Amino acid sequence: MVFILGVNFSERKLVKKALESFYALGPSTSARILAKYSIHPLAKVGSLPPKTVTSLTAELSGMTIESDAKKIMRENIKRLKDMGSYRGRRHAMNLPVRGQRTRTQIETAKKLNRIERRA
Amino acid sequence: MASVHCSRGLTVPRSSLRLAPRITPIIAWTAPFSTTPAVSKVAGAPKKAFQVIGRHIRRGKVAQNSKKKPQIVRAKKPQPGQRKAFRKRIQLSNNNAAVVDGLPVLEAETMANKENLCRMVGLPDKLVDQLRALEAFKPTQFWGLFRKPHMLVRTETVSLMERLNEAATQKQTLRTVLTGGKNSGKSLMLLQAMSHGLLNEWVVINIPEAQDLVNANTEYSPIPNSSPLQFFQPAYCLALLQKIAKANGEVLKQYKLSKDYSELQLIHLPEDGTLYDLAAAAKEAEFAWPVVQALWHELTAVPGRPPVLVTIDGLSHLMKQSAYRDPSFHIVHAHDLTLVRLLVDALAGNTAFANGGAVLAGTSRSNAPRSPSMDLALAQVAAEKAGEVAPSPDPYRRDYDARVYEAVRNVDVLEVNGISKLEARAVMEYWAASGVLRSQVNETTVTEKWSLSGHGILGEMERAALENSRL
Repeated sequence: MVFILGVNFSERKLVKKALESFYALGPSTSARILAKYSIHPLAKVGSLPPKTVTSLTAELSGMTIESDAKKIMRENIKRLKDMGSYRGRRHAMNLPVRGQRTRTQIETAKKLNRIERRA
Repeated sequence: MASVHCSRGLTVPRSSLRLAPRITPIIAWTAPFSTTPAVSKVAGAPKKAFQVIGRHIRRGKVAQNSKKKPQIVRAKKPQPGQRKAFRKRIQLSNNNAAVVDGLPVLEAETMANKENLCRMVGLPDKLVDQLRALEAFKPTQFWGLFRKPHMLVRTETVSLMERLNEAATQKQTLRTVLTGGKNSGKSLMLLQAMSHGLLNEWVVINIPEAQDLVNANTEYSPIPNSSPLQFFQPAYCLALLQKIAKANGEVLKQYKLSKDYSELQLIHLPEDGTLYDLAAAAKEAEFAWPVVQALWHELTAVPGRPPVLVTIDGLSHLMKQSAYRDPSFHIVHAHDLTLVRLLVDALAGNTAFANGGAVLAGTSRSNAPRSPSMDLALAQVAAEKAGEVAPSPDPYRRDYDARVYEAVRNVDVLEVNGISKLEARAVMEYWAASGVLRSQVNETTVTEKWSLSGHGILGEMERAALENSRL
């Protein structure tokens, strides 16, 4: 078990997948982080030397990911709501925001759009 | 009917009215076929609490909510890596094949001898172990059909081995790229060269798949203070050292180290050790690259050492950008990987081999990325050799690579293509003697298979003749 940014990862997990498990850290950022520390794309978490694990944690703690990124997203939605814009209302009403039809297929909006959105 | 009933009702007293007992139709309903798994039919299966009379009629206590759990037989999942090991396994003998007697066993000078042309030769067991350690055999080759591994001495073999001998005696470096059609036996030619080298006490270094070095599947690590930034591959270097030590152990043990390598800080390296000690001293991946460098120095720069044979399969992988990224996210050129650099320098003639030797690189026709500069350079060399006009670069292409062109410009090209009918006959007689080919070997069948296989492309001949008996 290896701790990266306080999260416990199995040693058999790919480093790339471990990095991408953080909110707001996608394939392109993870590829750049891997390149920065010269970790090959198929590297497993267990094969990282402790020094690299520490520097990965340091790298990630300086980035806007997880709760920071979520907070920014919530603030953006809140701004829309405070303005009283249509998009803000749609967010609050648990409905699609970007003009999709609402007869069917609005599962994602129903799942995510809340007054206080979680993810 | 109604009138009958009425008359009965009047004549027969009501109390004694007897209805005929109802005949329950007992229909043994069976499906024309069953999809029930065989496991439910075992003898110890629990007896049902109710009796099935008809299709929908059941007598006895029927448990309403007794949902039976489906019996799922879970097969044991293969361990991680087990399936790959099975896919990549190399089977070199087959007890069902007949023993072929009377064929010569490979010795040091067998393949350089013109008398053995068009003959099959067997590989001695010790050599097979060494070749296996070097990963010279490939899973796509047809070794598993025969009792013991044998190979054909063909014209190209003899000429190549003669040139290897010449390089060793004159202490020169033979730098050759094997080209030729798909399945024509380029990898097998490398294997023959390796066999020749091992039997003649050369030190043989083999890169069985060049793509493993560049496809970013193995660890890499930057070399500090190098410009442009270079990378070494610790895990691959360690595995390579172990392979070299295992295959060439006896030769390496004969030579003492020329200088003190205490600066490498190898715990396992004894005082006045041999080359074998050096190769075996790297136990951890971090120290592997300096040890590779030291061993390479000992073999190529110090006189009085055995000749070195370097074989590379799948050359075009080394002649392009790799899949690695440097810390600033630029793609790393394959030649900026130190091990690749070492091999390419040797191929390009930048490394002097003090004791003679050879660098043989096989191209691949099935798994080969495009490398226009390499193709151009090889085509030019081949054209010069044939006395034709050398092709010039296509002015509308932008993907030429000067580094690659420089690396391949001065090599020699050996074209490996179809075998002659005489050679084809020798191979087919061996197949027939092994019991794999079930037809008579005569002029007609040999010509048939030879023509079917595009004028003797050996892999295609195997496919035409043996594919249906392959497991």
